[in-house]
Amino acid sequence: MTRRRAGGAAWNTLGLGVFVVMVFPVFWMISTAFKTDDQVNSFTPTWFSTTPTIRHFTDAIHRPFFWADVKNSVIVVLVTVVIAMALAFLAAIALAKYRFSGRKAFIVLMIGIQMLPATGLIIPLYVLLARYHEVNTLSGVIVTYLTFALPFSVWTLRGFIIGIPKDLEEAAMVDGSSRVGAFLRILLPLVAPGLVATSIFTFITSWNEYIFARILLNDQAKETLTLWLSFYLGTGRNTDYGGLMAASTLVAIPVVIFFLLVQRRIAFGLTAGAVRG
Amino acid sequence: MVAVLGAILGYPIYDLVRLSLQRYGLFELIQHHGVYIGLHNFGSVLHDGVFWHTLLRTIVFTVANVGLTMVIGTLIALLLVRISTWVRILLTAGLVLVWAMPQVVAVQVWSWMTNSENGVVNYILTKLHVGNYFQHNWYVSPFSQLALVTTLVVWGALPFVAITIYAALSQVPHDLVEAAEIDGARPWRVFLDVTMPVIRPVLLILTSLSILWDFGVFTQPYLLIGQGHIVPANYLMGIYLFEQGYVKADFGRGAAISILMLVIVAALSIVYVRKMVRIGDVE
Repeated sequence: MTRRRAGGAAWNTLGLGVFVVMVFPVFWMISTAFKTDDQVNSFTPTWFSTTPTIRHFTDAIHRPFFWADVKNSVIVVLVTVVIAMALAFLAAIALAKYRFSGRKAFIVLMIGIQMLPATGLIIPLYVLLARYHEVNTLSGVIVTYLTFALPFSVWTLRGFIIGIPKDLEEAAMVDGSSRVGAFLRILLPLVAPGLVATSIFTFITSWNEYIFARILLNDQAKETLTLWLSFYLGTGRNTDYGGLMAASTLVAIPVVIFFLLVQRRIAFGLTAGAVRG
Repeated sequence: MVAVLGAILGYPIYDLVRLSLQRYGLFELIQHHGVYIGLHNFGSVLHDGVFWHTLLRTIVFTVANVGLTMVIGTLIALLLVRISTWVRILLTAGLVLVWAMPQVVAVQVWSWMTNSENGVVNYILTKLHVGNYFQHNWYVSPFSQLALVTTLVVWGALPFVAITIYAALSQVPHDLVEAAEIDGARPWRVFLDVTMPVIRPVLLILTSLSILWDFGVFTQPYLLIGQGHIVPANYLMGIYLFEQGYVKADFGRGAAISILMLVIVAALSIVYVRKMVRIGDVE
């Protein structure tokens, strides 16, 4: 597109307008979290609190099960990321470097899995995990997240591995490196950025996941943080919106930080890799 | 390695098909095996009036959500090309921030912004003289509830769509656009004849992805409308499946609903699958 017309005042104003509308909910969440109860409950909204308080945050982290559920989320996320990366890396090498029978079927299967709305798999996964007494356990949740993390990770890593010329690896072997040595010294460093990006992406999707956690976990001490947040208001009529927004901010922070780190890489991998951001 | 992975990924599908042909309730869940009843589950779903109403509602919902996402997303992408650098950086940063918001968090923010007591949305709409929205309750009718869910879903989907289309727009050759403009082509024609052919593949993929995400959407409607307020009149397919299969613990029937959903989604987004398989095969 031409840059000739770039920067017209009207376009810039419109751009700022879009920015304000899009960002407003995020702003409103953070701004509410720091308000006093009177400001939150008032009929006339306070845009910025001039008397900010962190009381809602201290309330939120002292709510029952907050720390237990933080721990659960961290365990689920870390184990999922580590296993997914190890398996996906090996599968991606196989897929990128070797031709084998059933390769095409495997690609179709992998893309097909990503195509399925996650909702469509709640029933078979629930029944399957119930058969092995994995309902209401974190390991059951981890296995479930792996089924979703793997296709995306394999697909993205495959893209990184394909970019590495085979000669490079062969040259290392000619120079006397073993296959493992070539792998460690040549392949791994080149794929490292891909591994970082996919790990963070797996981290984010597992941290945010809701429906499977909702179905598989039914004990407050075993919930993940997303579930904890979704039950924050409870069934009572007195809604503590200040506390809810402080809790929401806390849940969002780790995701936002990690997302900002990899967004550039993921944005382009996504149309090829295709997983919801 | 690949065989093992294939088995991990393929097994749930195999299980899904088997389940759909069985009577599988709580009793069978404890026994760990179901009773084969042929296509009975499918028959029962297809004879359920709620299924057809929900399907129709979900299709309308999907068309509205995908349509709005794609149109507004394209407009934002085109806008990104026209604004000065500092506004573009600001807007992109804003979009990325929105993109990073977890769905469950976004739902909580929405419920706070739209609560009927002192929600800021009612306040702003009233101040802007759109009408009197003082203590307007957005959660009274299924239409209003799903419209609210639509705003939430579209807001969350826009960043990915806009940024991806913006990236595709950079592939559009400058000289071609300029030549068309010198020849006196109107902006709309330039967009259709020069820009569109270049970004069409990306638009196709994004549309397919949006269709399959929005058709199976669960978290946003379930949490925003609220567990206690979910009724057949505001069911979407994802929620219908959850209520029929999981809440009622009729897993066989749930599996049949899943398969019907998957078939419909697959038919809607076959374009995407074919394209991806081709990419995987060529390289």
